[in-house]
Amino acid sequence: MGTGKLNRRKFLAGAAAGAGAFLFAGCGKKENVLRIVSSLPRTGSAQGQTDTIVNGIRMAMDEYNNELFGNKLVHKDMDDATAAQGQWDAGKEADNAREAAADKDVMVFIGPYNSGASMVSQPILSEAGLLQVSPAATWPGLTKKVPGNQKDEPAVHRKDGKINFCRVCPTDFVQGPLSAVFAKEVLGVKKVYILDDKELYGNGIAGLFKKKCEELGVTVLGHESIVASQKNFKTVIAAVRGTNPDLLYFGGTSQSGGPQIAIDMKGEGLKCPLMVPDGCYEKAFIDGAGADTFSAVPCYATIGGYDPGQMVAAGGNGAAFVKRYKEKYGKDPEAYAVYGYEACKVFLEGAKAVGKKDRAEILKAVLATKDFDKGAVGKWSFDADGDTSLRVLTISKIEGTNFKPQKTITE
Amino acid sequence: MTAVGRYWVPGLFAALFAYPFLPVAEANRGEQFTILFVYALLALALNVVIGYAGLLHLGIAAFFGIGAYTVGILTVPFFPFQQSFLVAALAAVLVSALVGIAATAPTLRLRGDYFALVTLGFGLITLYAIRNLDAITEGTKGLNPIAAGPLPGVKENVDLSALKVGDDWGARWYKYPYLYFVILSALGGVMLLLRNLERSRLGRAWVALREDELAATCMGLNPARLKLAAVAVGAGLAGLAGAFYALALRTTGNPQAYDFTLSMIMVCCVILGGLGNRPGVLLGTLLLMGFDRIATNLLDNWLQEEFDLGGGAYTKVSGWKLIIFGTVLIVMMRFRPEGLLPEARHARELRESDDQAVDSGQKEK
Amino acid sequence: MFELFAQADATAAGFGQYLLLGLVLGSLYALIALGYTMVYGIIELINFAHGDLFMLGTFFALGAATAVGATTADAGTGTIVLGLALMLVGTPLFCAGLNVATDRAIYKPLRRSPKLTVIVSAIGVSFIFMNLGLFWRGATPVKFPDLIPDTNLLGGAGSVRFTLKDAMVLGVTVPVMIALTVFVKLTPLGKAMRATAQNPTAAVLMGINVDRVIAVTFAIGGALAGVASVVYGLYIKSADYQMGFQNGLYAFTAAVLGGIGNIPGAVLGGLVIGVVGELGKAYLGAKWSEALIFGILIVILLFRPTGLLGARTREKV
Repeated sequence: MGTGKLNRRKFLAGAAAGAGAFLFAGCGKKENVLRIVSSLPRTGSAQGQTDTIVNGIRMAMDEYNNELFGNKLVHKDMDDATAAQGQWDAGKEADNAREAAADKDVMVFIGPYNSGASMVSQPILSEAGLLQVSPAATWPGLTKKVPGNQKDEPAVHRKDGKINFCRVCPTDFVQGPLSAVFAKEVLGVKKVYILDDKELYGNGIAGLFKKKCEELGVTVLGHESIVASQKNFKTVIAAVRGTNPDLLYFGGTSQSGGPQIAIDMKGEGLKCPLMVPDGCYEKAFIDGAGADTFSAVPCYATIGGYDPGQMVAAGGNGAAFVKRYKEKYGKDPEAYAVYGYEACKVFLEGAKAVGKKDRAEILKAVLATKDFDKGAVGKWSFDADGDTSLRVLTISKIEGTNFKPQKTITE
Repeated sequence: MTAVGRYWVPGLFAALFAYPFLPVAEANRGEQFTILFVYALLALALNVVIGYAGLLHLGIAAFFGIGAYTVGILTVPFFPFQQSFLVAALAAVLVSALVGIAATAPTLRLRGDYFALVTLGFGLITLYAIRNLDAITEGTKGLNPIAAGPLPGVKENVDLSALKVGDDWGARWYKYPYLYFVILSALGGVMLLLRNLERSRLGRAWVALREDELAATCMGLNPARLKLAAVAVGAGLAGLAGAFYALALRTTGNPQAYDFTLSMIMVCCVILGGLGNRPGVLLGTLLLMGFDRIATNLLDNWLQEEFDLGGGAYTKVSGWKLIIFGTVLIVMMRFRPEGLLPEARHARELRESDDQAVDSGQKEK
Repeated sequence: MFELFAQADATAAGFGQYLLLGLVLGSLYALIALGYTMVYGIIELINFAHGDLFMLGTFFALGAATAVGATTADAGTGTIVLGLALMLVGTPLFCAGLNVATDRAIYKPLRRSPKLTVIVSAIGVSFIFMNLGLFWRGATPVKFPDLIPDTNLLGGAGSVRFTLKDAMVLGVTVPVMIALTVFVKLTPLGKAMRATAQNPTAAVLMGINVDRVIAVTFAIGGALAGVASVVYGLYIKSADYQMGFQNGLYAFTAAVLGGIGNIPGAVLGGLVIGVVGELGKAYLGAKWSEALIFGILIVILLFRPTGLLGARTREKV
């Protein structure tokens, strides 16, 4: 056992050194720094989408030369996903929120991407009084009391009723119903089949879509949840084919099976169009299913606000943003890059007006934003709950490898 | 045994108890440590089943989930129960232990790998039940907020600013030390409990059973009852860990947190640390989970602030995590299969096997 | 809870369709399960890395197809045939080589170690493979070339579809399984394999080179995973680095269900799991199909503790 003892001592020494490293990490902070934290899934399959959000944030920071009233702007790019889960993780999101709350130099928390993750970070940040701006969490219950909410929403997300969460993207309460309106009025759909991925976002938006369909007199043939990890939905699609719908609506993301649904619709000969929400409004969705799939399966994707292509056509700030993004990163921005930019921009403008590093003041100033037009999506305001007044929906059709905007509807 | 060997566990606990009072203490780190303690508790629970009784169980995460959801159901505002955490945690232990017994009793006659697969299946069925029974579990949304005070009669947000240790301690440790100390104490308590259990009649019977089931049976031990006892204890402790997990996160979180990946990582923690040896399992979990949940984060943040490496998976420490995990496991199994801090009996057995086994693939435990 | 029951197409045509899809998928699971069961039969290792080997195989096949330009059905017949040939030859070789190399480097030094030690190593290998897959193709699902048309062989109007793709899967998997059975039953090497599975000590004494038999087993198991990965890619048409986990789990379950170590058992287990899973998706809803598969597995094991065809398994004390 002689070697055993020696090894043991060595291991313990190593362990002690490791523990020491944990304890002392975080010392030696630089002065005059203003940190912008983003907490987005930077590993796992949502990465493509969130990379472009981060690009948007960095672009906004660059416009201020990375400096705000004498403080160096530093972007702290946190990952709320773990490699083991391949997607956002509740523990990781909570860690990020607490780390941000504990760091006195952090003035804003941009994120998260997933509404489920938002439910974890919101109470922590609310307690700390730190401004949180989400570029992508669209579950209505995070901010408003609407039908279909979980019990006690949104009060459960706010410590002592303090509002600190706002978002620059329109919620599913806009998107779900307007998608149904488009399906009925433009596509002339009479019977629809609904699938969702059973996640907070996908299931939520599918439910809102369904409700509006029923109000509009569109027959809902069925509403089923898939399991994204099964990777193959042939049987599910074959069952849908048996009901002969005019449209298949899928509430979910490109990570939770969206592309595979399109692939299996082609494979199983389901001839109706497919409609997907903003979680699929990204290049990864088209690449995942392949452009050849969409030549057989007509597919409509919806996004709250506008498509970057429309912004170019409209001119002004939006067009300038798209142009600069393309110069900087060598490709067109994805839809959510705009919201990453918008979220960071609205914070920077609010903070600039305050002129000092004071969380409470900045929070107040940003939430009071009215008629904001310095961003890329046009003029909008935050309402009393922290939602954007931008309540429009753009529906695009996938043609080749691009989203071609078809129509923009206002609520 | 050297002094270091004997005293490092109490020393570690003393250091962890002292940590919040140190000037370097950070609230966030403290919260992260709290979660590590929860996983250590879970690994100790699994160790009872695998290490003591020798049953390869691949579904421990299910009991973790059952514990968390029991606490959720008994405490969240929209169910009518509204129990205190103490009651809920007790219920979590009992429910997990009972489910453990009920699910294992019929399958005890299965041998080795068949038993392992059934436990894996049980874990998956539990996960899907949690995911799909929306009326009880809120599906993928998770039950929240879980805000019951941990101990009756004590406020959750104790103002500790009066202690004034270090730089604005009270503000930083706004409420965290509370959970930190409660869960750390529970971990210490479970360590002591298991130490006594190992030395008890039951503990020695498990050793006999694990080493040679046939001989143990001939000596009048009842293998079925002993295995059930191990599963009950293990499941109960895993339920307790789940209860603390839900409390620490204030939500049961996404059901995905209780999936097969967690069971597998727990098996790795137990084996990496030293199968059957409590201090080893503790160390293994703190290292592996500490690396997973804290170190990669810190390294990534540091790398990101110092160098801008872009978004590729291979430019991040977290992108290499599985390779690092895998390599550690393989290297350990090759050169130190008994784990970092082996149990004396187990280590001897593994070392002897080098001389005794003659044919390949025939070494059966 | 089971609200879907009413919605599913419960006609005979619907049932036939689901059964067909289940059998096709089941034959794929069977092919992967064979790799598990053969390795287990020889060295009693649950090779957790097998599913991830299958995943790397799919990525390799994808790379091969892309390299020759066979990315869509419009690529021209010559290119497509070349791509298919390259995939069907290259991928099994790649997987077999990788599997043998892994065995040499990692499992071989552990032949005398307890089972758990080797299983943990296999988990480690699985983590590494998965991470390599992540580096190779990123985290987002990748489109696999859609080279075989979805033509319905039963005529366009019928409500049951049996496509060229379904036929392709069966056309590859069934002959491969028959060939394997013939190999194991009739060739000297197959006989040596069975002997080693039965009793390695006796096999050594009879002059069988056990190391070689083990290497051959890993090679064949890997090659089968390679074939399965090509067929899977062409059939499902997408690939991602986590796909090995789910399919590996099904295949492993199939192997145990049939009686682990038993070759016909793995095939039967694969088909049962395919059919049960797909019928479950259709009649109980996709979200319950996994619970159903494992529920049935547990019930079957309660009545047949060594699997459906596992009666031959000897008991070691």
